[in-house]
Amino acid sequence: MKKLPLQGIRALELAEIWAGPFCGVLLGDMGAEVIKVEALQRIARGPVRPAPNTPGYPDYDPGERPWNRQGNFNATNRNKLGLTLDLTTERGVSAFKELVAISDIVFTNYAFGVMDRFGLGQEVLRKIKPDLIALFTPGYGNTGPYRGHRSMGMAIDAMTGHSALRGYPDLDLSHNSLVHHPDAVAAVTATFAICAALHQRARTGQGQFIDLSQAEAFMPHLGEVFLENQMNGSRRERRGNGHPRMSPHGCFPCLGNDAWVTVTVRSDDEWLRFCEVIEQPELAADARFATLDDRVANRNALEAIIGAWTAQRDRRDIAAQMQAQRIPAAAVLDCGADTYDDPHLQARQYFQLVEHPDAGMYPMSGPVWGTLSHTEPDSSQEEAARLPDRHEPAPTLGEHNDYLLGDMLGFSEAYMQDLERASVIGAVPLEGADMGGVRRFARERQGSAS
Amino acid sequence: MPYQTLTNIRVIDASTGIAGPYAGKMLADYGADVIKLELPATPDYSRDVGAFPDGVSHAEKSALFLHLNAGKRGITLDFSTDEGRRIFIELAAQCDVVLESFRPGQMAEWGIGYHDLRQVRSDIILTSVTPYGQTGPHKDYEFTELTIFAAGGAMHREGLPDREPLRYGAEIAQYFSGTTAAAATMIALFGVAMHGEGEWVDISMQECMAGHPHQVGRRTPWIYGNEPDLRKPPRLAAAGMREPYAVGSFRCKDGYVSFLPLGSRMWPQLARMIDRADLIDDPRFRSPDDRTERREELESIFQAWFDEHTRMEVFAAGQREGLPCAPIMETSEALENPHFRERNYFVDMIHPDAGNLTYTGLPFRLSDAATAPNTPAPRLGQHNAEIYCNLLNITAAELAQLRAKGVV
Repeated sequence: MKKLPLQGIRALELAEIWAGPFCGVLLGDMGAEVIKVEALQRIARGPVRPAPNTPGYPDYDPGERPWNRQGNFNATNRNKLGLTLDLTTERGVSAFKELVAISDIVFTNYAFGVMDRFGLGQEVLRKIKPDLIALFTPGYGNTGPYRGHRSMGMAIDAMTGHSALRGYPDLDLSHNSLVHHPDAVAAVTATFAICAALHQRARTGQGQFIDLSQAEAFMPHLGEVFLENQMNGSRRERRGNGHPRMSPHGCFPCLGNDAWVTVTVRSDDEWLRFCEVIEQPELAADARFATLDDRVANRNALEAIIGAWTAQRDRRDIAAQMQAQRIPAAAVLDCGADTYDDPHLQARQYFQLVEHPDAGMYPMSGPVWGTLSHTEPDSSQEEAARLPDRHEPAPTLGEHNDYLLGDMLGFSEAYMQDLERASVIGAVPLEGADMGGVRRFARERQGSAS
Repeated sequence: MPYQTLTNIRVIDASTGIAGPYAGKMLADYGADVIKLELPATPDYSRDVGAFPDGVSHAEKSALFLHLNAGKRGITLDFSTDEGRRIFIELAAQCDVVLESFRPGQMAEWGIGYHDLRQVRSDIILTSVTPYGQTGPHKDYEFTELTIFAAGGAMHREGLPDREPLRYGAEIAQYFSGTTAAAATMIALFGVAMHGEGEWVDISMQECMAGHPHQVGRRTPWIYGNEPDLRKPPRLAAAGMREPYAVGSFRCKDGYVSFLPLGSRMWPQLARMIDRADLIDDPRFRSPDDRTERREELESIFQAWFDEHTRMEVFAAGQREGLPCAPIMETSEALENPHFRERNYFVDMIHPDAGNLTYTGLPFRLSDAATAPNTPAPRLGQHNAEIYCNLLNITAAELAQLRAKGVV
């Protein structure tokens, strides 16, 4: 089989939740050996002792080792090796440094200052391995007045201007949901950044420190809005599902429970075809809808007519009928059964079943891109299998301790047992490991009292 | 200031719209020589999208085009003609990457598909960015931001339970797909450097969104419990209904703020933020269940405090207590934000037609890479002479002929 592009590259991941771990997923998908470093003292694998019958675990059963069965963790950590190390101890840090010396990449989405507190700031890391690529991505970056501020995707969404553009235009912003999309943007941008640095390193031998502010990675995704305001001096009104230069352009109810379809008409030609599809050719002659301006001005009347038609029909059928006339339309798919059962994604073999030692069999989405370079010029593209093809389930806590510390670093069995007794390594989280904030809070309170 | 990290990389960006051009922009931001290639008769439609200064349409002044194509050189070429095809292939032979976003099969029909390009350059990378990818029953489907967002799995849960699902606030799915295309291209480039093999990268916007970590994470309740992915009231949308009186967005004195307390452990911090440490041990609010039950009472206590404080005051108090929170800002306010200003994030550029504008800056910074001056988006065909004559050794007379024939 063809070599994956990142085969031979080793990365150390210190990351929780979404922004960091998803970068590790993308690197792992493409062949890198990604070592996820966790601690028995702090896990991001759900509660240590969840109540029985908790959603998000196979069969609602957290089982004997809930930390290995938590759905969100297992979904967002494929294709990685699992290592535990307590980086608040000297021996933990020392083992980490030995790994740095034989790695290409260290990346983290820990809050600003955490790596320094471990004694693993970027200068330290780069001294151990001068051509190392180190990427630190706190929400607001590694310099500036907000660098230590608490943030999650939703905060970046608010601070950069995206939240103000979201929501139902007829309801105020207090009705908005929280959106964490900037996490995902940071993850993919980090992947790009690391590989750009690898590329330069291959040419010049230089290492790199990458300062990635999640806010700064996301703002270009709103780039034209930043310019628009300067050009017109006006603020952009929220659009909801509407569009200032397309109509109809919306989301309509369909047959079935909570079933919806989106339809957008981009031109007068499409409008005429649209009237044919909904079998109401008289609409094409209706003065209220004659031009784009008319259709935008009379949007509500138009959408009521369309909604009455869609409500009697299946969402996927509507999309297919519209698409047959080259009108952009799509069923609103939820991220569970709908996407999993989507015939197009199925035909593209987007999901694979993986077997996890503690969580059993579950479907995992594929790499977010495929390569077709192996296809023959005359082969039907429909027959092309998705490559690359690397589908390892998420690691259990400390699953690869023996391989990484024993086989790779050559630690003796006795020393490993020592480390285990001191909880520097292990496979079972300590009591309260899911409550890092509380312990820190208690420590801080103690500190300020003394 | 673009970094000079990818200076040995040359890219033909024949893509249009948002996703492909944004991938090209990211490569240009880090030093690749990105040649924006437009069909003379049908240039990139982002030139028509706007917004335009004072609302007056002008092909060189569209905000969307100016943003997405800054840092690139621009040429025109009608590669649907034989002569244009020949020139495209000659140019591709000198490039590492070709970016395109035509409907699947179109490039091959023109004789410039992956297998044609591979003939002249075995290690070439072709990155194809389309709504549904190159294969499968929906590969020829049309799209807009709204429809591809709907197909990707994020829309169904977005919005209120008794209302229609809602899309995000900008061209989010397309930009995210463009970022993914850039990352995929970069990985493929590194693969070429290591293993010498080219790639045809197939980017499907639907898959980019469906494989987005949120969808992947939120798919698990369905995988494990057959639970549907429902729209929820914002206060109750956080997992485990943690501290619902303080989840979501809230009106304050001069706008709105967003909050997401991370579980009940943050109750003391919340109480202290509003100067009500006395509530921490108040028997009415002692346990998480108490606070969930009395969430309306608590929300009104918080709301009264919000009403008296500005966004920045709330932000400062929240940060003092270590709470994930932020003011909801307009992009025009983000432009003035002291943090982004101190980091020197935004970029001023003068464009010959559109004038001086402040653009969003680089998505990340590098410690060990040189920088080069910023250049604004190219005018249509601005670099024809430079590229055709210097890179391809076409003479000025031949170029004049090509112009006369409408090939460039």
